[in-house]
Amino acid sequence: MSPFFETAATAEDGDLAILHLKRDTLTPITLRSTADDGYAEGAVTNTRFGSFPHSTLIGLEWGAQVRASKVDTGTRGRKGKQVRQDGVAVSMEETTTSPGQPAEPVAHLNNKRKSEELEPEARLEHPVPKKLRTASDRVDSTAVQRAAVATVTPLEAGSGFVHLLQPTPESWTSSLDHRTQVVYIPDYSYILQRIRAKPGQSIIEAGAGSGSFTHAAARAVFSGYPGSENPKKRKLGKVYSYEYHEPRVETLRKEINEHGLDDIVHLTHRDVCNDGFLLTTPDRPSPNANAIFLDLPAPWQALRHLTRIPFEEQVIATTTYLRKNGWTEIDMVEVHNRRMDVRREQVGLKNEGLRGVNASAATVDEAVFRLRDVEQKIGDFHASKIDRQLNAQANAAGAGGAVPNGSGRKVQSKADRLDKIKRDAEERKLYKEGNLVHRTETEVKTHTSYLVFATLPRAWNEDDERACAESWDVEAMMRGERSGGETKKA
Amino acid sequence: MSTSRIQPNTWLFLRLPSRSLKCLEIKPNTIIDVGKLGQFPSNLLLGRPYYHTYEILEKAADEAYSRLRIVTPDELNAEVAADEATPAESRAEPATPGVSDGASLPKAMEEAVVQELKNNRLTIDDASRQALSQEDIEQLKKSSAGKEIIDKILANHAGLDEKTVFSRAKYVLRKRSKYLKRFTVLPMDVGTLILYLHEKEPARILEMREETLGLIMAWSNMHGSHVESSADETSLGKLGTGRWLTVDETGGLLVAAMAERMDILHKYTDEEQFDHPPTNAESVQTEDVEMEDVSATLDGKSSTPASRHIPTPRDFPLPATSNTITLLHPAVQPNVSILKHFGYDSNSPNTDHPLHTHLKCLSWLQLLHPADDPTYRQPDTVPDPELFKWKSGKRGNYHKKQRRWQRCQAVVHDTQRGNFDGLIIASNMDPATILPHTIPLVRGGGHIVIYSPTIEPLVKIMDLYSKDRRAAYIQHLSKGETPSIDDFPLDPRLLLAPTLQTSRVREWQVLPGRTHPRMTSRGGSEGFVFTARRVLPVEGGVEARGNFTGKKRKGATNDAATPGGDIVDAGVGVGGA
Repeated sequence: MSPFFETAATAEDGDLAILHLKRDTLTPITLRSTADDGYAEGAVTNTRFGSFPHSTLIGLEWGAQVRASKVDTGTRGRKGKQVRQDGVAVSMEETTTSPGQPAEPVAHLNNKRKSEELEPEARLEHPVPKKLRTASDRVDSTAVQRAAVATVTPLEAGSGFVHLLQPTPESWTSSLDHRTQVVYIPDYSYILQRIRAKPGQSIIEAGAGSGSFTHAAARAVFSGYPGSENPKKRKLGKVYSYEYHEPRVETLRKEINEHGLDDIVHLTHRDVCNDGFLLTTPDRPSPNANAIFLDLPAPWQALRHLTRIPFEEQVIATTTYLRKNGWTEIDMVEVHNRRMDVRREQVGLKNEGLRGVNASAATVDEAVFRLRDVEQKIGDFHASKIDRQLNAQANAAGAGGAVPNGSGRKVQSKADRLDKIKRDAEERKLYKEGNLVHRTETEVKTHTSYLVFATLPRAWNEDDERACAESWDVEAMMRGERSGGETKKA
Repeated sequence: MSTSRIQPNTWLFLRLPSRSLKCLEIKPNTIIDVGKLGQFPSNLLLGRPYYHTYEILEKAADEAYSRLRIVTPDELNAEVAADEATPAESRAEPATPGVSDGASLPKAMEEAVVQELKNNRLTIDDASRQALSQEDIEQLKKSSAGKEIIDKILANHAGLDEKTVFSRAKYVLRKRSKYLKRFTVLPMDVGTLILYLHEKEPARILEMREETLGLIMAWSNMHGSHVESSADETSLGKLGTGRWLTVDETGGLLVAAMAERMDILHKYTDEEQFDHPPTNAESVQTEDVEMEDVSATLDGKSSTPASRHIPTPRDFPLPATSNTITLLHPAVQPNVSILKHFGYDSNSPNTDHPLHTHLKCLSWLQLLHPADDPTYRQPDTVPDPELFKWKSGKRGNYHKKQRRWQRCQAVVHDTQRGNFDGLIIASNMDPATILPHTIPLVRGGGHIVIYSPTIEPLVKIMDLYSKDRRAAYIQHLSKGETPSIDDFPLDPRLLLAPTLQTSRVREWQVLPGRTHPRMTSRGGSEGFVFTARRVLPVEGGVEARGNFTGKKRKGATNDAATPGGDIVDAGVGVGGA
């Protein structure tokens, strides 16, 4: 059973899960109750938002928010390489191991290694900030005792969290490191819609790459697993995937297996341009596909039902090829996807000195008010200067008695004003103030690929036509006899 | 169902030379009238393949209607190739298309150079250039086939040689679309239906485009469920798998698309069945309310153990437990008229159709205040002895009422128990009023997708889930306050990664030397899609962690509330669920 199609209510040992760190930062992991990679807590996934022992994830409901745990990542950092060779699904890329980094004190708070491994050298190699030491040692003593028997019960860190999600083709695609150019979601969603992918169909994909389209196509055609109850004898959907780059094939094969898609995705290592699509198994030579998706540098060499093409030159060659070989409904498009940024734009003088705002005047009135205010201050300033001079003269004349300054107003200093604005801002509901605006997000993929669609109509010959004419007689109607049928106005 | 041949009593599209679509249901022994193109018997199309182009032949003198001829793809493409594709031939062959570029100019451009003197400077736009008068053409139309008319028109155009290659090609194309009596037959599917409705009555489907629908289907993780829910599970009252909730006011288009992805849109028929074509397979449709359609086939995949033995009633069947779509509708009856194109009509139900049991409809009143809904209230029960004394019609009516009530009960309770895999909304109502009632019904990690033809309602939703608002909400909770409903109509913690996006497909013209985006396309609404995943916030306090790019405020418990810094997306949480 693939976790992409069905999941139980809770995340269980051995499940594929997606840790959602933030939008577009997703880490796929396989949950393990045990792991031999040196952590006292068992299997641990380290992220930029903290460490997550799998024991804190297993048994949770999907979609749950999870707090980070205190895990000693420092002392076992040197084992990182070995871990990766073992193929244990622990992401080391984002491990926050630089010692003493102020933003990441928690990672070094505790040493919860097994007691026999707690060598003094290790501690020296990764010095723990001194003021944190007492707290960590206190925790350690209990932790270490337990570790001697089994794995440690993880303690919650003070900060950091992730969300635990079921895998989907979208989250998988977002989490992919770009082994090759990825077929992005806006493209593949349109392709699958456009080629009318339905459950029970067979789709050929040539140029599997990192497998983003593979997963989406598998979801689109999925109509059950072989061997399961199939009362209607429905065809089981299948994706026939081809890739000529051997390391990519191996990675993808492993992923397909781990994702429980073996029965749906049939992966072949082959260059389809030269060797075609026929399957190697003797009993079923042709995939009999309903649709073909080609993501190749020279698609016209391997052409069938549909292609995705990055360059215009290829489009022209491909289209010409299609036209010459009996395809119809030929169409070329590109998909332009934009993500929108929505925010509250704070404009106005009352925002002066705040962050992320526009502190210019929001209205004409505000501008006029500010102008008058400035004028007033200048006037006051000059007036006070004159006053001082007058005072000085008066004092010199020995008349005594202070002359009141300009307008008699107390002038608020800029620092006071900013301070007041800042204090006011604490009370303001900034989340519902200002103008609600939207704009395209700053990074836009303005072009991803050209998509060429074409249809190969079913071949039709005179025999077919004759058989059809016999089944559906028209001679009576042609003589003008209406057999109860009415004219259909199209 | 057979996908490549035209079956009787199915809906299909005819695409005319003008590229406009006609939607019709093909019935045996009827006449299909395609306006000025002519009339022909439907039997000439039945059994024939889709995607082919058919030409309406000249009516023979002794026949009442025209006959059809399949225009082979070779013939079609040859026409295109005749004036357009030739220069590209040099490009079809080379393995490295880029090389030919610098070395030799494409033929189209060479041609343009040779014919440099030929431009539109001296073009005379005048009807007199065409030697044929309108009457002549009308006469021609009666006597000859489309192709001959076009040839004659071209031959009689005095200025044709003065035209540039490009403008001549355009001219020929225009004449061809005007005089050729051809149409292409396309099968009924959601994609083509969108094209058709977008042209005809876009408001009916909330101006939804095909690319937008693609986005909705991908981001909602729409797919069928094929896990057998065992007898034990259902009897224990456990929920089935593959349950989806939708608020669809596109006349059923969204439901159709969802059903297509779940494999419950089309009737299950045998592909091979066609070899013995049914003559007129219209089954006898009775409007009987008695449960007498014992022959009703069951959808074994999802049927509950009980329904394996009891036939599905025509009118109010007990709903399936897995692979279902629950439709919330604002009116008394759901508007799913578009589903008729796929053989499902809620007024005259077909027990063969998977949607008969897999589509569950309930009104907002039934969901929120079921006690106020007359259908939800139990009708009076009558003991059997008395029932037998009744006339069969009255008894049938009684049973019908009971079944309707049972179904309503089942649907309402099933919906209220929630745990849906996803929620898709395409509604005229303000989504901010829909979400408070529906988000709690979605399981953790489930998908929320909202479509809107315009951006404004979704901007409002994005704002209700903004990180600032979420931070403020959490701050209220941490202080032990109840956040006011005015400031927080929705719990901002319940959705993860709210994203607003739009897709737009741009069509290109692909002709050698003239490859560029199409000059015109349809305007109208862009179509926006809001996506998010339902999450379960942790109880108690949570503090964000990460690299703060901005200034760090010391001592604040909710650092993530400060704008800037890439931590903000991860959000913060303090307080109970």
